[in-house]
Amino acid sequence: MPQPVSVIDMDATILGAWMATGLTLFIFSFLYQDNPLFKLAEHLYVGVSVGYTIVKAYDTVIVHLIVKPIVEEGQIALLIPVAIGLLMLTRYVPRAAWMSRYAFAFIVGLGSGLAIPRTISSFILKQVEDTIRPLLAHAGGDGLTFSLNLLNPSSGLNAVIILIGVSTVLFYFFFSIEHSGPGKIVARTGIVFLMIAFGAAFGYTVMARMSLLIGRLTDLIEFSDVSYGRPTWWLLVVTIGVLVLLARRVPNRPPDLP
Amino acid sequence: MTFSERMLKIDRRIIFVVIGLCTLLPLLNPVGLPIKISPEVRNVYDYIESLPERSVFLLSIDFDPASKPELHPQAIALLRHAFRKNLRVVAMTLWVSGTGMADQLLKQVSSEMGRERGRDYVFLGWSPGGSAVIINMGQDLYTAFPSDYEGKPTRGIPVLEGVHSLKDVTYAISLGAGNPGVEAWYVYGKDKYKFELGGGCTGVIAPGLYPLLRSGQINGLIGGLRGAAEYESLIGQKGRAVAGMDAQSATHLAIIVLVVMCNLFYFSLRQQKGRG
Repeated sequence: MPQPVSVIDMDATILGAWMATGLTLFIFSFLYQDNPLFKLAEHLYVGVSVGYTIVKAYDTVIVHLIVKPIVEEGQIALLIPVAIGLLMLTRYVPRAAWMSRYAFAFIVGLGSGLAIPRTISSFILKQVEDTIRPLLAHAGGDGLTFSLNLLNPSSGLNAVIILIGVSTVLFYFFFSIEHSGPGKIVARTGIVFLMIAFGAAFGYTVMARMSLLIGRLTDLIEFSDVSYGRPTWWLLVVTIGVLVLLARRVPNRPPDLP
Repeated sequence: MTFSERMLKIDRRIIFVVIGLCTLLPLLNPVGLPIKISPEVRNVYDYIESLPERSVFLLSIDFDPASKPELHPQAIALLRHAFRKNLRVVAMTLWVSGTGMADQLLKQVSSEMGRERGRDYVFLGWSPGGSAVIINMGQDLYTAFPSDYEGKPTRGIPVLEGVHSLKDVTYAISLGAGNPGVEAWYVYGKDKYKFELGGGCTGVIAPGLYPLLRSGQINGLIGGLRGAAEYESLIGQKGRAVAGMDAQSATHLAIIVLVVMCNLFYFSLRQQKGRG
């Protein structure tokens, strides 16, 4: 007895491998120069992403969270949020556009009410509390100690560094007085802390981008296998061939005017 | 044109080729450089390791295929660990574009570990509202997700027995590629409903999450592909992340060399112009 499901699955895997390989190579072709293959992949990405999001949102929100509960379970109360949501669509009718303000007012009011207290608590109060932690720690019966261990995030030395960093960076952004004399030293120290922070952020960004490249190349290596029909090799030839053809078709640029 | 000038005006495509080769060659011929485990990754591992069997572990897969190379290996490693510890896995996503990928991920790891949908894990799918979903889950999980990804009513699913809201979650981890992600889970989840929270994130947003780690707002952080490789090493199942670490090291070395060379040529040119 044949197994049609597994055959379909296998075909879908191979088709997916060819699609993924082709689109990856088409996108990478931009590194050489802009070309129609890149445009095709770029437009497909945007189109598929938007299409997928619309379908998933329609199925989850309209079908499963609105229509089914109202029709099958009789949850009439859901008509209230539906009505508020529909008010937003009045933006498209100029004479009725004022009604959308009620919906926006509801969302802005609710959103602010939920976000402001929680954000202040989480990102301001908690962080301030962590910044001004005691420099000296209790060490049982021995009294107070000051730890010099740089590798321990809660050591006294790290607390001092954080305190200096926060104070000097805040001073750097204090523009009401001129940064001269001792103030200049403090502001410069703030710049040093900022530069270290930017450097660390940039280093992580480089790592992230390289990880994406590693991910794509790992897939390209996997899809060069004979079990997939070697899409990497075939589509690499196609991509290079198209780039060569395009390079030949482009007419010579007129010489630049003096 | 001097050598320094020529080098500073080098065709950028040559640099692309150098970076490409530095990535490709280690992937084809791995060296197996050692991987040091950082305390923030170990904290996540140790916490899961300390959980009793059948504890409720919530995994929020808050990313889409654009961040797959970094966060997919993290998710696989975490799920393998959770299934091995026989935890009850409740998975969900706050990113609509990541639903299909998340479902595929769960199916793959659960079948590999011999776990059953409904009994050992559930995928709740996506619900609209972003951060508001977390608040909704904190009040009533079944209002936020009346049905799971396959459309089955969530009430009565065996893996959710005794779970009514986020207060019943033992440990939650958000694998976030942006907003809503780890920060939203802290602000609207842990801070309000008091469950332990860990984080996993892309390299780009990792520096912004370290303050939360230091202040104890999250108990651990798995950052980027590097973090995933560390976690794979901890659970003893090396996968894509560990395989990519040689390439990562080689590209980093290449970039450092390029930065140093660029600076040398720049200062050399400036010195020449100063003399002229």
